Amino acid sequence: MAAPAQPSLIDLFVTRATEAAAKVERIPRTPADVRAAIARATEGARTLVIASGDFIPADVFLAARSLPGVIPKPTDDQLATADAGVTEAFAGVARTGSICIAMGPPLRAAASLLMPLHVALLPAERIVFRPRELFEPKGIGQEALRRNLAFVTGPSATADMGPLVRGVHGPHRLHILVLE
Amino acid sequence: MASAGTSSGPYETPRAVANKSDKRTLVRAIRMALGMESVAVRRNTQNFNRNRYRVAAEVVDYDALKDEARAIKERSINGLPDLLLTLEKAVRARGGQFYLASTAADACRYILGVCQAHNAKLVVKGKSITSEEIRLNHTLEGAGIEVAESDLAEFILQVADEQPSHIVAPALHYTTERIAALFKRKFSTDAKLETGEELTKFARERLREKFLHADVGITGANLIAAETGTIMLVESEGNIRMSCLLPPVHISIAGVEKVIPTREDIGPFIELLALSATGQRLSSYTSIISPPLDDPLFALSGRPRPAKREREFHLVLIDNGRMKMRQDPVLHETLYCIRCSACMNSCANFQTVGGHAFGGETYSGGIGGAWEAGTGTLENARFSDLCTGCSRCVNNCPVRIDIPWLNEVLRDRLNRASAGSPLASLLGLASMVRGDDRRASAQKIFFANYHWYAEWGARTAGFTNRMARSPLARRVMQALVGLDSRRALPPFPLRTLVRAAREAPAPARARVFPGPAAKAVLFADVYTNYGPAERGLATLKVLRALGADVVVSDSVPEGRAALSQGMIATARKHARRAAKLLTPYLDEGRDVIVVEPSALAMFRRDNNHVLVGNERFDLLRTRSFEAVEYVVRLLARSERTARDFFDVSRSPVGRRLFYHSHCQQKTLGCAGPTEALLREIGFDVATSSVECCGMAGSFGYKKEYYDLSMAVGADLFSQVQAAEQPAAAGGARALVASGTSCTEQLQAGLGRPVLHPIELLAAILIV
Repeated sequence: MAAPAQPSLIDLFVTRATEAAAKVERIPRTPADVRAAIARATEGARTLVIASGDFIPADVFLAARSLPGVIPKPTDDQLATADAGVTEAFAGVARTGSICIAMGPPLRAAASLLMPLHVALLPAERIVFRPRELFEPKGIGQEALRRNLAFVTGPSATADMGPLVRGVHGPHRLHILVLE
Repeated sequence: MASAGTSSGPYETPRAVANKSDKRTLVRAIRMALGMESVAVRRNTQNFNRNRYRVAAEVVDYDALKDEARAIKERSINGLPDLLLTLEKAVRARGGQFYLASTAADACRYILGVCQAHNAKLVVKGKSITSEEIRLNHTLEGAGIEVAESDLAEFILQVADEQPSHIVAPALHYTTERIAALFKRKFSTDAKLETGEELTKFARERLREKFLHADVGITGANLIAAETGTIMLVESEGNIRMSCLLPPVHISIAGVEKVIPTREDIGPFIELLALSATGQRLSSYTSIISPPLDDPLFALSGRPRPAKREREFHLVLIDNGRMKMRQDPVLHETLYCIRCSACMNSCANFQTVGGHAFGGETYSGGIGGAWEAGTGTLENARFSDLCTGCSRCVNNCPVRIDIPWLNEVLRDRLNRASAGSPLASLLGLASMVRGDDRRASAQKIFFANYHWYAEWGARTAGFTNRMARSPLARRVMQALVGLDSRRALPPFPLRTLVRAAREAPAPARARVFPGPAAKAVLFADVYTNYGPAERGLATLKVLRALGADVVVSDSVPEGRAALSQGMIATARKHARRAAKLLTPYLDEGRDVIVVEPSALAMFRRDNNHVLVGNERFDLLRTRSFEAVEYVVRLLARSERTARDFFDVSRSPVGRRLFYHSHCQQKTLGCAGPTEALLREIGFDVATSSVECCGMAGSFGYKKEYYDLSMAVGADLFSQVQAAEQPAAAGGARALVASGTSCTEQLQAGLGRPVLHPIELLAAILIV
C-alpha cells in the first residue's frame, strides 16, 4: 500500500492519536520552543524526569533540563514517585496514532511508563504509515528491527471495571509533541 | 425473554460448572450464565464485535493480511521442531534461559524452581491464559509464594476465585455493580467503591505496591520470533511492561504454537491482532522485546540494590498436548489460533452466555472446544455443542480457521466415543445413519435425518400437521428426541415443491436477454420442499420472468443437517448423493439455485471438508447461487434495471420492511445483494445487526437449548421493535427473512408472518 505523502501522514497521525485520547501538538523543533512546550505540557507536575534522546539533538533536551522540577539524576525511588516523564519517541505510526518508544538508554523505559504523565517528543519525519513498516528491513524499519520497542497508543486504559477508564498501571495522560 | 429473567437464584458458582464433561452441567451452566452474566457479556462482546467490523473496514488489505498471517502460521507449525531449536539458541545467546515443558506439571515445577532459587516471596503476573491452563497459581501459592495478578480482569477473578470467561477480557462477565459488591465483600476498606474509576484506582494502588516489591515478574507472550528470541506482548494497562521491567527476574510462558520464524513475520500480526481482539487499531501497549532487557535494574522502595544490575530471563514453552495436536489431521489448525477472541465476539450464543457456559475450565468460545480437547480430554470439549455452525466466526478469524468444522469434528468424535443410545436403537433411528454415527444420541440422529421424517410427514400432511399441534404428541416427541414442546413446528405443505412444480405447466419463457438464456436447476432442498414450498414456486416464477430456463431437481438431503449433529460419515453420504443428483444438470450447463442458505453453505463451504478431492464439489461450489443472489446476477446481465421488472407499489405488505439475513447467507456474501436489490426497487429497508437469530437450524428446537435460543433471539426482536419506532415515522415494518429457521424464530418472538424476499419479488413482478 502506498503511504500518503508526508504532510498528510502527519495530519493522519494527529487525528488518530487524538482519537486514541493522546494530546497532540505540532511545534517547531528549536530548543526554546521545545522547552516552552514541555513546560506547558507538564504544568502542575511538581517533579519530572527527562530521559536522553537518540535522534533529537542534545541541545534541545539541554534547554528543557533547566525547567523547574526536573530531577537531573533521579534515584530509583524518585523515579517511582515523579509526576511526569519526558522521552523521545523512536517513531510514530499514523494509521493507528501510536508512538514507538525504543528502550535501552537509562531512564527511558521508566520515564515512559511509571509516571502519571508521559510527554513524548516525536520528530515528524519519523512518522510511518502503518505498524508493519517497523518490521520491514528498509528505511526506519532497519533500525527498528534491532531495538526493544513499546508501541504506545494513548494512555494506559482498561474496561475491566465496566466503563472505559484511562490511567491504570501506566500513564494516565499521554502528551505528544510532534517536532516539525 | 424466556425463563432467563424470571428464574430465581441462587445460582451456582462458575467454578462449580466449569467442567462440562457431562451435558447436564452444560445445561446448568447456561442457566447460571443467563441469570447472572448475560447482561455484561452481551454489552462487552457486542462492543468488541462492532468495533472490529468498523476498524477492519479501514484496513484496505485486511483479506491479504489474513492470507499472509495464515501462511506464516502454516509454515511455523509445519516446521515447529526446527523453530524450537533455533529459538533455544537465540534465547541462550542473549543470556536468557529456555525451557520446553512437556506437561502442565513440568512447566509448574520449572517455574517454581526458578522462584525458589531466588527465594521469591512475591510474584507479579500479567494476564496469561496459558498460566490458567497449567494452574500455575495453584502451584506457586501451594509453595507459600504470593501471586499478585496485575491485569485488572485477572485481579477480579483471583479475588472471586473464578475461571476466565473470555480469552482476551477474562472478567467481561462482570458489571461494575457486581465488582463493587465483590470488592466490598472481600476487602475491608473504607474506600468509596462504586464507579469504574474508583474501582480501578483501588486496584491500581494495591498493585503498584506489589510491582515495587515483586521478586519475579511472569508474563505470557503473544508471539515469539525464533531467529532473534523476540517476544510480542499486547496489553492495555501497562502491567505487562512493568512485569518485564521492574522485577529482577522475568519469566515468560507460552504454548509452543506461539513461535514463528522471524521478527519480520510479526508484521501482519501486529496489524491484525488488536483489531481482531477488541476492535482497536492497536492496543494501548504492544511491546516487541528480545529479553533480557538491557535497561538497568531499579532498586525501588528500600529493596536492596541488586548485586548485578542485569535482569534474568526465562522463556518457558509448553507442549501439554500441542505436539500431539500438531499431528492431528483436523485439530492441528487450532495451533494457528492467535487467541484474538474474534470468533467468540462474533458468535451470537457466546454473546448471550459468555465463556462460563460456552467454555471449559480455561478456554471458551468457538475455538475453545478444540483447545480444551487438545490440552485436556475430548470430554472437556462437550460445551462446544453450543457452536451452532452458523459460520459467522469464519470470515472474522485472522488466520482463517474453519472453526465450525473443528467443532463438527469434535462432535463427531464425542458421538463415536459415547456408548450409543439404547433409545435410538429401539426407535430404529440408529439404522438410518452410517457406521459409528449410530452411537450418537437419539436427538442428534433425529435432527440429522430430518429429511426422512419430512418426507413421511408430508405424505400425510393433513394428519401430521394436526399431530404437530397436539400437546400429547409434542410431549412424546420431547421425551423421545428432545424436540422442545414450546416450539411451533413448521407445517408440512399439502403439495411439496417438487410435486407442485411438476404438476404446473411451465409457462412460456420471457425473452429479456440479448444472448442465450440462463439455464438453471432449482435444488429442492429439504427445508423448502417439505416446508414453505411456496418460496420455491416464487423462485421459479421470478427466474422465468427474467428469462431463465429453470427446472426443479428431486429433493434429497445435502448433508448440512447430519454435519451439524457431528455425523460426518452420514453427512458425506448425503453430500455425495446431492452432488450426484446435480451433476447431470451441471453438465447441461445449468447453474444450481438454492432457497435455503444453509443448504447453499454445504455446497459452497462445507463440502470442502466432506467431499475432499471430489471434482463434483468444485463445479457445485462455483456454480451454486442463493435465489435472490441469482436474481441480481440475471439483472446485471440484462440491459434493464430492477425497476423495469419489479414495481414496489404492488407490494402486498407496503414499502417498509425489516429484513433479517441468514447467518450462513452473510458469511457467503449474499446478504448484501438482497438488501441492495430491495432498496433499488424502492423499499425502505431496516436491517438487523445480529449475527444469528438464535434458532440456527435445529439448535433452538432442542429442549436443553430453548431458553438460550430465545435469549439470543431477544436481540433480534428488540431491533425489529426499535426500527418500528416512532410510530409517526411510519410504524410497523413487514418482516422479511431468508432462512427457514430464522422465519420460525421471528414468528415465535414477534407472532407475525414473515416473507422470504423471493416471495415479495414474485408478488411485485411487472408481467
